[in-house]
Amino acid sequence: MVESTRARSDEPQSDPRKADALSAGPVPVGTPTVRSAFDEDHPPSAELISDCVHCGFCLSTCPTYTLWGEEMDSPRGRIDLMKAGLQGAPLSDTMVQHFDACLGCMACVTACPSGVQYDKLIEATRVQVERHHTRSPGDRAMRTAIFALFPYKKRLRALRGPLRAYQASGLPKVVRRSGLLDRLAPKLAAMEGLAPVLEKREKLPERVPATGARRAVVGMLTGCVQGEFFPGVNAATARVLAAEGCDVIIPRRQGCCGALSVHNGRQEEAESFARATIDAFESAGVDAVVVNAAGCGSSMKEYADILADDPDYAERAKAFSGKVRDVSEFLAELGSVAPRHPLEVTVAYHDACHLGHAQGIRSQPRNLLKEIPGLQLREIAEAEVCCGSAGIWNVLNPEPARELGDRKARNIAGTGAELLVTANPGCLMQVSSSLERQGTRIGLAHTIEVIDASIRGLPVSTLGPQH
Amino acid sequence: MSGTHGTETTAGPVLGDTPPEATSATGEAGDNAAGIAAVGRVARALMPETGVIADPTQLRTYECDGLAHYRVTPALVVLPETTEQLAAVVKACSEHGVPFVARGSGTGLSGGALPRADGVLLVTSRMRTIREIRRADQRAIVEPGVINLDVTRAATPEGYYYAPDPSSQQICSIGGNLAENSGGAHCLKYGFTSNHVLGTELITPQGDVVSLGGLAPDSPGYDLLGTVVGSEGTLGIATTATVRLVRLPEEVRTLLVGFHTTDDAGAATSAIISAGVLPAAIEMMDALAIEAAEAAVHCNYPAGAGAVLVIELDGASAEVEHEYQLVERFCQENGSFELRLATDATERALIWRGRKSAFAAVGRISPDYIVQDGVIPRTALPEVLRAIAELSSSSGVRVANVFHAGDGNLHPLVLFDGEKEGATEAAEKVSGAILDLCITHGGAITGEHGVGVDKAAYMPKMFTDDDLDTMQLVRCAFDPGNISNPGKIFPTPRLCGEVPGKRKKAHPLVEAGLADAF
Amino acid sequence: MTTIDLDTARTRLSDACAEVTDATPADAVDGVPAALVARPGSTEETAAVLRAAAAAGLTVVPRGRGTKLSWGRPPESADVVLDLSRMNRVLDHAAGDLIVDTQAGALLSDVQQTAGSAGQRLALDEPVAGGTVGGMLATNASGPGRVAVGTARDLLIGVTVVRADGVVAKAGGRVVKNVAGYDLGKLVIGSFGTLVVVTQAVFRLHPVPAARRFVTVPFGTPEDASRLVQSVVHAQVVPAAVEVEWRVDGAGTVGVLLEGTPAGVEARTTTTRRLLGAGADAAEAAPPGWGVLPWTDEPGSTGLKLTCALSGLAPVLTAARRAAEDAGVALTVRGSGGAGVLYASLGADASVEAVADVVARTRAVCTEHGGALVVVDGPPAVKSAVDVWGPVPAIDLMRRVKEQFDPERRLAPGRFVGGI
Repeated sequence: MVESTRARSDEPQSDPRKADALSAGPVPVGTPTVRSAFDEDHPPSAELISDCVHCGFCLSTCPTYTLWGEEMDSPRGRIDLMKAGLQGAPLSDTMVQHFDACLGCMACVTACPSGVQYDKLIEATRVQVERHHTRSPGDRAMRTAIFALFPYKKRLRALRGPLRAYQASGLPKVVRRSGLLDRLAPKLAAMEGLAPVLEKREKLPERVPATGARRAVVGMLTGCVQGEFFPGVNAATARVLAAEGCDVIIPRRQGCCGALSVHNGRQEEAESFARATIDAFESAGVDAVVVNAAGCGSSMKEYADILADDPDYAERAKAFSGKVRDVSEFLAELGSVAPRHPLEVTVAYHDACHLGHAQGIRSQPRNLLKEIPGLQLREIAEAEVCCGSAGIWNVLNPEPARELGDRKARNIAGTGAELLVTANPGCLMQVSSSLERQGTRIGLAHTIEVIDASIRGLPVSTLGPQH
Repeated sequence: MSGTHGTETTAGPVLGDTPPEATSATGEAGDNAAGIAAVGRVARALMPETGVIADPTQLRTYECDGLAHYRVTPALVVLPETTEQLAAVVKACSEHGVPFVARGSGTGLSGGALPRADGVLLVTSRMRTIREIRRADQRAIVEPGVINLDVTRAATPEGYYYAPDPSSQQICSIGGNLAENSGGAHCLKYGFTSNHVLGTELITPQGDVVSLGGLAPDSPGYDLLGTVVGSEGTLGIATTATVRLVRLPEEVRTLLVGFHTTDDAGAATSAIISAGVLPAAIEMMDALAIEAAEAAVHCNYPAGAGAVLVIELDGASAEVEHEYQLVERFCQENGSFELRLATDATERALIWRGRKSAFAAVGRISPDYIVQDGVIPRTALPEVLRAIAELSSSSGVRVANVFHAGDGNLHPLVLFDGEKEGATEAAEKVSGAILDLCITHGGAITGEHGVGVDKAAYMPKMFTDDDLDTMQLVRCAFDPGNISNPGKIFPTPRLCGEVPGKRKKAHPLVEAGLADAF
Repeated sequence: MTTIDLDTARTRLSDACAEVTDATPADAVDGVPAALVARPGSTEETAAVLRAAAAAGLTVVPRGRGTKLSWGRPPESADVVLDLSRMNRVLDHAAGDLIVDTQAGALLSDVQQTAGSAGQRLALDEPVAGGTVGGMLATNASGPGRVAVGTARDLLIGVTVVRADGVVAKAGGRVVKNVAGYDLGKLVIGSFGTLVVVTQAVFRLHPVPAARRFVTVPFGTPEDASRLVQSVVHAQVVPAAVEVEWRVDGAGTVGVLLEGTPAGVEARTTTTRRLLGAGADAAEAAPPGWGVLPWTDEPGSTGLKLTCALSGLAPVLTAARRAAEDAGVALTVRGSGGAGVLYASLGADASVEAVADVVARTRAVCTEHGGALVVVDGPPAVKSAVDVWGPVPAIDLMRRVKEQFDPERRLAPGRFVGGI
C-alpha cells in the first residue's frame, strides 16, 4: 500500500504550542513504520478538519456521546481521530470502532456554529475503513446479509406479513444464517402492531396524471423499504402530487438509490446504484425528482459528490442532484392548491435526521401539517437527537439503538399526541418497537399520508389506531 | 500530609519543608510512569473497562478542551461514574504523587482542562444525574457532569431555571462552570456561578470528601465554597453541586437594536444603566461579529448595522413595561435606527442564537482566531473600543467585537490566518495589547473564561508577587502536594512550607508568663 | 521565640504606627483585656503594625467601631487592638460604573450617603447601627434585603488585606466581572478577623428603587408562616425581602418588601396582598423592628442565627418554640423566611442550662434541614458554656487555611469556629 505523504508523526507533543500539526511543516524524520490510517484516495480532508475549533457544541446532540459520555464517540473526538489518522496513526480496531459507532445522523452538522462539514468527513472516512479494515467474521456476515437484503425489493417482500421474518425461506442463505432476521423480527412485529394494517399493495402506474391544470412534471422514487413496508406512502405521495397539479412519472426500472451503501462506505456499490437511478430518471424529462424517504433524498442530493470522479456521469449527476426534492420541500415550493379537509388530531412531528439535519428541511413539513384545519402540532423534546434507527445502525448496534429508541419514545409519549408523523421509514420502524415496549398507544403516519387523508377527506382513523 | 514529597523538614525561617519539584505547566510524557500505572490499576479495579482509557489513539481525543491551540496528550483518562470511584482515584493520585486534571465537557476557553502529559485526566461526563429538583427550597442538587441547560430544562416544569448561562450552556457542565465561576449574558442582573452555588461535595486533592455549604446559606466557618468556585480545579474536584434555582420571570422582552456605530451603542448602554435600569442582559456585537453570526446561523440582524445591542428585560410585567419604555427612548436618543422586539419564543431564540454562536461562527470568516476575554469599567467602553480599533488598523489585524456591554466584559475576536507568515505572532501581539488596555483601564484580564494555562503569564501584570503569593496560601492549604491541576492560574508554584495538621506550640506570651499581666 | 514586656511592645508598635496608646478597660474584646491599641492611618501603616506585632509575637484583634466585638467566641488573647477607625474614608464612588471603593474603617452609613448622592446604594442592610465596612465584612452581617441581592459575598468585588506577617495583598479589582485568581474576598467575609486584616474594599452598587412598599400579614402557626412565605417566593412578584417575625407571645407577622418603579410596585403589591390573603396590609413605611436583630433591645439576652432550607422554616420555628417553652425561656424570632436565615433571642433571665438546651435542640432541627445554628452574641457565661459555633463539616480544611495565613495564631485567636 502506498504511504500517505500527508502522514506525519509529531508525537510526543510535549510542547503545547506545537498544536496545529496539520497546518504546516515538512514530513518529519521517523515516518511511521505502521501503515497510516488513510490512503491518498480522498482521505478525510485536512482542510475540513481544520474548520473544527473544538468548541464542543456538537456533543449534546450526538447520540453516542449522549449514551456513553466519551470524547472518542463524539463528532469532535472522531475528527480528532481522523486528524490522528492523517498524521500517521494506524487504522486500529479501536479507531474503526469509534467511526463505526457514528450513526451518521448529522445532528452535529446542524449544531456546529463553525460550519464543519462532518458529513463529508465521516463519509470519506467510512470509505477508507471499508478499504483498509478487516472486520471480524461475525460483523462481516451481518453486513453482507444486510446488503444482500435491503436494496432488493423482492427479498424484502419475503419479510412482509406477521412473523414471516422467522421463516422467510425465500431469502438467500447469507441472510438466513447471519442472525439478521432475529434482530429484525421484533421491530417488524412492533411496527405491524402500530402502523395501519398493511393494505394490499397498490400497483402504481408509470404515469399518474395531474388533477386539473398541470403545474409540474415530476419523477417519483418508490424506494426499497418504503415501497415494501409502507406502500401506502407511495400511493399517497402520487395522489397528493397529482392533486396539487403534477404529472407524476414513476419509472419501472428504478431500483435502490444507494443510500445505505453511501452511509456505510460501500463506495463502488453506492456508485453503481447512483448511476442506475440517474439512468432511470434522466430520460423521463421531469422538472423534479420527488422523494418521500428522508435517507434516500439526502443521498440522491449527494450524487454529484459520489460520482464526481466519473467522467461519464459527473455532469449528469450534478444536474440530477439539482432536481432532487423531498416531497415536503417540493410541495412547499409549489404552494398548495388542493383544498384540505379538517383532521381533528394532535400530531407529534418527528424530524428524521436525514430530513432535518442532512437536508435542513424542518419548517416545510410542519407548515404543510399546519395547513390542515383542526390539526394541532406538538413538538418533541430533544428533537435534535436521533431515534437510533440511522439506516442499518440499529441492526448492527441493537443495544444502544434500543436505548436511543426508548429515549425518543419517552419524549414522544411526553407530547401526549395521538399521531406520530415523520418522513422516514427507518424512524417509524425504530420508534415503533420502543413505543410498543413502553406501552404507548399512538398512531404512526408519514407526513404525506396525513396530507392525503386531509385532501381526500378521510377520517383520522385511517391513519392509525385511535384511543 | 503532603503525600507527594518528602516529609523531612529542614531548618528555615519561613519555609521549612522540602520544596516541590519544579513543574512545567504540562509535565513531560513518561514521567510518573510507575505512579500512573498504579493509579490505572486502582481505577480498573473500580470501574468498567470503558472507564479507563490508556489507548494512545483514544487519548488523543482528550488532548485539549475548548482552547484547541494548546494540546497535551494525557497519560491516562478516567471516566468515573460515582463520587466513590472519583475519590478513590484522586486518593491514588495523591499517594503516588501523580498530578490530575479534572474535566467536564471540555468546552473551557482558557485551557483550564489542558491535560498533563505526566498525569491523569479525570472526566466527569458520566456523572450526569440531576439528583433532586427541590422546588420548595429553590434548589437543585446535581452531579458535576450535568449539562448547564439540562438543569434549566429539568426545573422549567416547576417554574424555575438555573440563571448562569454561558454561551456554551447547551453542553458545558456544572462542574466546569463551578471550576471557572462561569458567567454568561444574564449575569449582569443575576450574577455568576458563585452567586448560584450554595453547596458542594468536594474531593480534596488528598482524596477526602468534604461538604462545603449546603441547602441553606451562610454556613459557619470560612467560606471555602466561595474560594473553591472559580479556582479552576486547583483546589479539588466538586462531585455534587447544590445550586440556586431562580423563579421564571413573569415576562421577558428581548430586543434587537441596530446602531450605526459601536460608540452609539455604547452610549445607549451607559444611558440605560445610569438611569437605574438593570436589564437581565445587554450584549453588543460589532459589524464584523454580525457578519460572522449571519454566515453561521442566519440570524437576520439589521442590515448595515455598525453595532447591535441585544437587550433582555425580565421580571414582573409592570416593571418590564416601564423599563422597556426607558430602553426604547435611550436607544432612540443615541442613534438607533432599528428596534425589534421579539414577539415569540422562536424570534427570541433567533436573536440569541446570533449572539451565542458568535465565537465559533467567526470560524466562518477567518481561518483562525483568538477569543479574548477582558473586563473594563463600563464607562471606559467607548475609549477602549476606539483603542482596539486603532490597534487593529495599525497592525492590520482584524478584530471582531462581541461583548457583555452591561458589565464591561469584552470578547474581542482577533482574526488571523495561521498559514500566513508572522500572522499568528501579529494576532497574539494584538490580543495581548488588548489585555494591557484592560489592565491600564482598571479592569481584569479575564471576566469569565478563566486564567487556565492561557493567561497564567498575564497574572503578574494584574497582581503583585505578594498578591499571588497570598492566593497561593489557599492553594497550599488545599493542595500542598501541588497535584490538583498544577500549572494553571499561577505562573509559578508556591513552595508550600509547613505541611498541614502540625500543631503549633502555645502562644509565646502565655508561654512567657506575660498573658496574665495584661 | 523572643519574649518581650509591655514597654518593649509599646516601643516597637510606636515605631510602626503614629497612634499607639495603652488600652483601657473599654478596649477589652468581649471581656478579654487588651494591652495596646494601634490606630493606623493607612494600609502601609497597618502592615507595619502587623509586622511589628509579628516580630514581637503579639496577638492582634482588628476592630472597626467595636459594635460587634462580642460576636463569636472571645479571643484567647488580645495583646493589640488594631483599630481601623482612622481609615474611615470613602475613597472613590464611580457612579457610572456603579462601584464604590472604601477604606475598611469607613462607616457603612457614610458609604450609603456617598452612593445615595447619585441615586445608588450598597445593597446591604445594617442590622447593628454604627458599624464599619470592615466590621460588616468580618461578621458577614446581613438583613432582610438579602433575598433579592444577597449578602456581602455577592457585592464585594475587590479587597486589600494585610496578612499576619504584614504582607499586603489584593484580590479582585474594580470591575464586577472578574475571575482572575482566587476570590480571597469571599474567604475573608465572615472570618471574624482571624485570617487577615481588611483595609480596603470595593463593592458593586445598585440603583435606589423609586418606590417601595411593605405588605404584612399576621400568622398564627409556623405552618401558616411557611405557607405564606412559600406563596410569595414561588410567585412572580420578585420580593426584595420576605421577613418572618414571631414575637415572644406567639403572635407572628410575615412581611414582604417590594421595590421598583411606582407602577410596578403598585401592581405587585396588589398581587402580593392577594397571595397573603385576608388581613394583609400595605404601607410605605417599614413595620416596627424591620431588620433589627431581636436581641438588640434586651441586654443580657442570647442572640442566635438559625439557618435552614426554605422548606425547613416551619419545623425550625416549631422546634425553637417547643424547646424554649420546655426550658421556660422567652423566645423571639425575626429574620428572612425567604432566605432561610432567621435570628432569635433568648430572654436575659434564662439560665445557662436552659439556653444550652434550647440551642442543642434547635440546632439539631436546623441541621436536619440543611442549615446550622450559631450563637451570635450572648453573656460570657452562656458563651463559655455552650458550643457557640456548632459542628463544622470542613473544619480540618479551615484549620489548614488558618495555618497558612496565620501559622502563629496571632490574629483574633480562638474567636472563630473550632477554636480557630
